[in-house]
Amino acid sequence: MGGGFRVLHLVRPFLSFLPEVQSADRKIPFREKVLYTVISLFIFLVCSQLPLYGIHSTTGADPFYWMRVILASNRGTVMELGITPIVTSGLVMQLLAGSKIIEVDNNVREDRALLNGAQKLLGILIAIGEAVAYVLSGMYGSVSQLGVGNAVLIIIQLWFAGIIVICLDELLQKGYGLGSGISLFIATNMCENIIWKAFSPTTINSGRGAEFEGAVIALFHLLITRTDKVRGLREAFYRQNLPNVTNLLATVLIFLIVIYLQGFRVVLPVRSKNARGQQGSYPIKLFYTSNMPIILQSALVSNVYFISQLLDRKYSGNFFVNLLGKWKESEYSGQSVPVGGLAYYITAPSSLADMVAHPFHAIFYIVFMLSACALFSKTWIEVSGSSARDVAKQLKEQQMVMPGHRESNLYKELNRYIPTAAAFGGVCIGLLTVLADLMGAIGSGTGILLAVTIIYQYFETFEKEKASEMGFFGL
Amino acid sequence: MALGGGGPQRGTAAAAAANLRRRKTGGAGGAAGGAGGTMLQFYTDDSPGLKISPNVVLVMSIGFIAFVAILHVMGKLYFVRREG
Repeated sequence: MGGGFRVLHLVRPFLSFLPEVQSADRKIPFREKVLYTVISLFIFLVCSQLPLYGIHSTTGADPFYWMRVILASNRGTVMELGITPIVTSGLVMQLLAGSKIIEVDNNVREDRALLNGAQKLLGILIAIGEAVAYVLSGMYGSVSQLGVGNAVLIIIQLWFAGIIVICLDELLQKGYGLGSGISLFIATNMCENIIWKAFSPTTINSGRGAEFEGAVIALFHLLITRTDKVRGLREAFYRQNLPNVTNLLATVLIFLIVIYLQGFRVVLPVRSKNARGQQGSYPIKLFYTSNMPIILQSALVSNVYFISQLLDRKYSGNFFVNLLGKWKESEYSGQSVPVGGLAYYITAPSSLADMVAHPFHAIFYIVFMLSACALFSKTWIEVSGSSARDVAKQLKEQQMVMPGHRESNLYKELNRYIPTAAAFGGVCIGLLTVLADLMGAIGSGTGILLAVTIIYQYFETFEKEKASEMGFFGL
Repeated sequence: MALGGGGPQRGTAAAAAANLRRRKTGGAGGAAGGAGGTMLQFYTDDSPGLKISPNVVLVMSIGFIAFVAILHVMGKLYFVRREG
């Protein structure tokens, strides 16, 4: 349609080489789905413990330590890249398609196939690109230290791990498993992190005798060993360098708030035109786009960090590079943290005290979070086909009408709620993220919010699967 | 009594199931899911590619894990021999 040349057609020659999981041609029973999901999870967990072969050291600054949880990656292991390749390629393609830079006609089968192929191809390319960038930037020791052979081996391992994640994700999505690989991996990584921070039996010597890392274990340890119980209790609640009980309580609180807000919805009554008495309802949730805004927002931020850090290492001192971000190694953890430029302002303030000390940073961060979440949420409904127009079309195809409204009014009525729900839901999600960050919830606000929304989605999926299974037996 | 109770019960269950299936065929904007893309569904359709069955994916992944593990073992042995 749009001229002789289309970008999407560039993908066609590669299409036959891309691995593609067969769609399920039968209905996979619930039990089998659980089995596939568990095996995939097991593979993922093994991969995120298995160290890469050939790396020299991972002691240097970790540029992604706050993104690790969200991106389901583990340092120095085969899962170093985690889900970054898929998420980034998905983000890029969806935005390209949404902004009409590449033309996709969603009604044409071939176009959809090409778009999927392009996404996968881009994912694989990003995996290679990132693997090469990691090795060349000296994250595992410089290339001369590693030797060329080992460097190539590391790249191959990272790349293949990326392909495996893509395949596992596709496997789960094509109906063999529950939910999607990405969500599953994020949630697992996050839960692992929280449990570890709460119950870790590792001791760390921080100058005042050995202390347990896990917050709950430390609480009991301090209460038992300290003679002054009140001071012991206070230390367990407010210690700075290690996870404390306040962090744990904040995590639980955020968890409860999100679950509570998930129930907020506007229910539109719909009625079938053909079958009389077929009453239904179409709920529009407050979290209409669920966790998508934060996934997109964190993908954006992590890419900004990655580029900014690469540039800062190579050309520090350049005006534009400084504008993008200045990085410094923190004296506590040896992590490099942004201290200036855009990267600094889009990073959460570390505490309330820090917020008061740098009010501009705090305000900029909050404004950035809220507007980014609202904006991503609004674009996402267009891109993913859940905007008012799409929903109206679907309802019409199902012969559903709203009682008391004319058919042409359906779109208008939906349009009253859906964009508002999307934008407002995005803002709420952003606000909760900021709140979680300020209260010091374990594993960053973004992480905890992702985990809760994903777990809630899984809960819903379970219920639905069970209901449909029951329905089959009932018939 | 029990029989009488059973009739409508099953009827409603069937109706609920039918309703559910209808809703499911409705597609992405399904009621319970909220928005279509909530579960990050990037790959939805079939495309002509290298078809592999799900079991192949699992075997491939386990094979990869085994390969890396063997690399580690070989690396250890090789280094020990060279140093010794």
